[in-house]
Amino acid sequence: MNIFRLLISPRFVGFKNNLKGPGGGRRVKILTLTVVGILFWLVLFFLFYRVLAYFSSQEMIGDVLARQLLAMVLLMFFSLLVFSHIVTALSNLYLSQDLELFHASPATLTEIFLSRSFYTVIDSSWMLIVFGLPVMMAYGVVYRASLGYYLSLIYVSLPLMIIAASLGILVIMVLVGFFPAQRARDIIFFLSLVVIICLYFLFRFLRPERLVNPDSFVSIAQYLGALKAPDSPYLPSQWATDLLWTRLTRYPGSQLLNHLLLWSTALALMVIDIWMAGLIYFRGFSKAQEAKRRTHVGRKILEKTVSVLTRPLRPETTSLIAKDVCTFFRDNSQWSQLLLLGALVVVYLYNFSVLPLERSPIKSVYLQNALSFLNIGLAGFVISALSARFIFPAVSAEGNAFWIILSSPLSARRFLWSKYFAYLIPMLILAEVLIIYTNHLLRVTAFMMVLSSATIFLLVFGIVALGVGLGAIYPNFKHENIAQVATSFGGLIYMISSSVFIALVIVLEAGPVYTILSAHFRGEAVTHVQWVWITGSFILVIFVQIVAVKKPMAAGLKSLSRYEG
Amino acid sequence: MIILKNLTKIYRGIKAVDNLNLQIPQGTIFGFIGPNGAGKTTTIKMMTGVLRPTKGSISIDGLDIAKEPSQAKRIIGFIPDRPFLYEKLSGTEFFRFKAGLYGMAGARLDEDISDLLNLFELSDWADELIESYSHGMKQRLIIASALIHKPKVIIVDEPMVALDPRGAKLVKELFKERARKGTTVFMSTHTLALAQEVCQQIAIVDKGRIVASGTSKDLEEQAGVTGDLERIFLAITGGLASG
Repeated sequence: MNIFRLLISPRFVGFKNNLKGPGGGRRVKILTLTVVGILFWLVLFFLFYRVLAYFSSQEMIGDVLARQLLAMVLLMFFSLLVFSHIVTALSNLYLSQDLELFHASPATLTEIFLSRSFYTVIDSSWMLIVFGLPVMMAYGVVYRASLGYYLSLIYVSLPLMIIAASLGILVIMVLVGFFPAQRARDIIFFLSLVVIICLYFLFRFLRPERLVNPDSFVSIAQYLGALKAPDSPYLPSQWATDLLWTRLTRYPGSQLLNHLLLWSTALALMVIDIWMAGLIYFRGFSKAQEAKRRTHVGRKILEKTVSVLTRPLRPETTSLIAKDVCTFFRDNSQWSQLLLLGALVVVYLYNFSVLPLERSPIKSVYLQNALSFLNIGLAGFVISALSARFIFPAVSAEGNAFWIILSSPLSARRFLWSKYFAYLIPMLILAEVLIIYTNHLLRVTAFMMVLSSATIFLLVFGIVALGVGLGAIYPNFKHENIAQVATSFGGLIYMISSSVFIALVIVLEAGPVYTILSAHFRGEAVTHVQWVWITGSFILVIFVQIVAVKKPMAAGLKSLSRYEG
Repeated sequence: MIILKNLTKIYRGIKAVDNLNLQIPQGTIFGFIGPNGAGKTTTIKMMTGVLRPTKGSISIDGLDIAKEPSQAKRIIGFIPDRPFLYEKLSGTEFFRFKAGLYGMAGARLDEDISDLLNLFELSDWADELIESYSHGMKQRLIIASALIHKPKVIIVDEPMVALDPRGAKLVKELFKERARKGTTVFMSTHTLALAQEVCQQIAIVDKGRIVASGTSKDLEEQAGVTGDLERIFLAITGGLASG
């Protein structure tokens, strides 16, 4: 047990030292994260509170809905837990850099396995516990649950967590038994992405909005039928749902079987995991140390495309872009996110194509143009989200090899602007496609078409500059996985800044657009005073854009120039 | 020629490099030795423009690294001690990338790359991704790629890390040959036998300050002991009595 404690101690000591470290910036960071976390927590709580309060006011179907929702939430949490354990177990058990040290030490295999599994549980579960709590609290408040409900939350989540962890770890041990760990990571990543995309499409094309409109169902029986998802008596999340529901509604009856099922499954899986680890864990770890073999798929096409696209540029810029493109397309965890991007765009466009504009009580032409205006903001947020994933980490993507850039004749200015323009062009194309196609679906006026195309065009310059600039202000060259960079503190600051920037532009344009459209539909002319105000607003929009490009890039440049690895 | 004038670097109140002054003539192989934490890597990082000095100046072949960083870096070939590279590029692609940063392109470049790959016995691995290279192969790649733009000054931090005896011999011969042709080599190392064998001048640095410098003979006089560089080093840095 002492060895186990020793093996898990580095992370805790490191965390403690990190907290003790100097710097006022750290305090600001912790404070910002806490405020954002609490806000998110409160929003989630009130959202569920409102939904559950509404359900409980509905006779007959209210409780059915609430119970179904609880089952769905727990099933989602459980699935996410299993998935998250699979991903983190792979890093913790097979790929972490300190594993070599552990395996070379006199610690037994079981001790190493248990300590890494412990890390896995901590890494995978904390987020869900934090975000699951407001949902469960909302249930407790709406149903005026007793203290027993809150205690049973701990009692039920513990075995649920153990089951998810054991299943995740078991899956990864078996997978690594067949493939080297690096390859297993690619496979998991790819499969999970495909699953997410399928679920996304499935959910979207099932049109869940129909469920809030009982008129579209012929009878109440049909409506209830549509609501009632099939019961899953073999799923641990269902056992947990039954247990918690009984506590919430104080429904009489024994839940002994569910208690036994939850705990016996958890304990049995733990034993199976330890037993399996003795059999296959070390073999998998050993395999993970082997070198990877090169894949040549699509290499020539990629090289040709890059060489054609970068021909007019200077050799320094060409080198940088060619390197970035090659690295991106060779890293499965990077390029496969393009699939997610594709799915996002398809669903985004699909949503517009199914808007029931003709059934709206508001005059269609107003609605179409209002929607088109709001769509500028929406598309802006989509571009921001993509930038957070792809552009914000662009500087950090240099990783430990950043010394090559620092010691080369390439100036920080050229380095940063090369990154900027490399991302600007594809983002501009994507944004324009989104806006023009949705406007086409909405059949908007020519004025709105021009305005929204021009606005998004300008917005992209700022969004990309914020991504590159803030990415240079908050670089992380020591990341193990580039995806972590997007979810860092800097990533959060980027999303907040980008959202404020988009909102500011939309607010500045809203008044003038309303005035012009109203005058147009009423057949009146815009007055001189209104024109002055409109012109002023648009000049202000351009000023905001210039600031959004110049300031973050200048700050990023300053930060990079001061960078001392 | 390399000139370091009053070079100082302070990290959170601690002087890592303290008022360093050096003048290294062109075509010299200069050894920069000292105990761990003496400030060797910090000095090298400042010389290559990776770190900014707190005080002082660095001139490389007449170019001030702070005032004309791009021009100065163009004539430096930097070989760091830790071989961090872009793992998803192949050896050849890394070479092209590196050459591009120095403004090089064209058919002649491919020939140069091929020559260097051959010289460092990496040709068979040229098209493999760097992530599959061994530690020693990565070090060879870094050394080879630092020479692609034919630098006037080579700044190298622990050149023999991870190299096998064959690779080590190759690097030694290469440095000697380049120095004969006028290239200045600034080399930080813990391998005292290497410093003694190839360096015409040596500086011993301790706690950020130069405590002795000159030829091996000069160092013997300053240390008051005779014999190999290890003995001189220990005498100067205070390790002889305890050791």
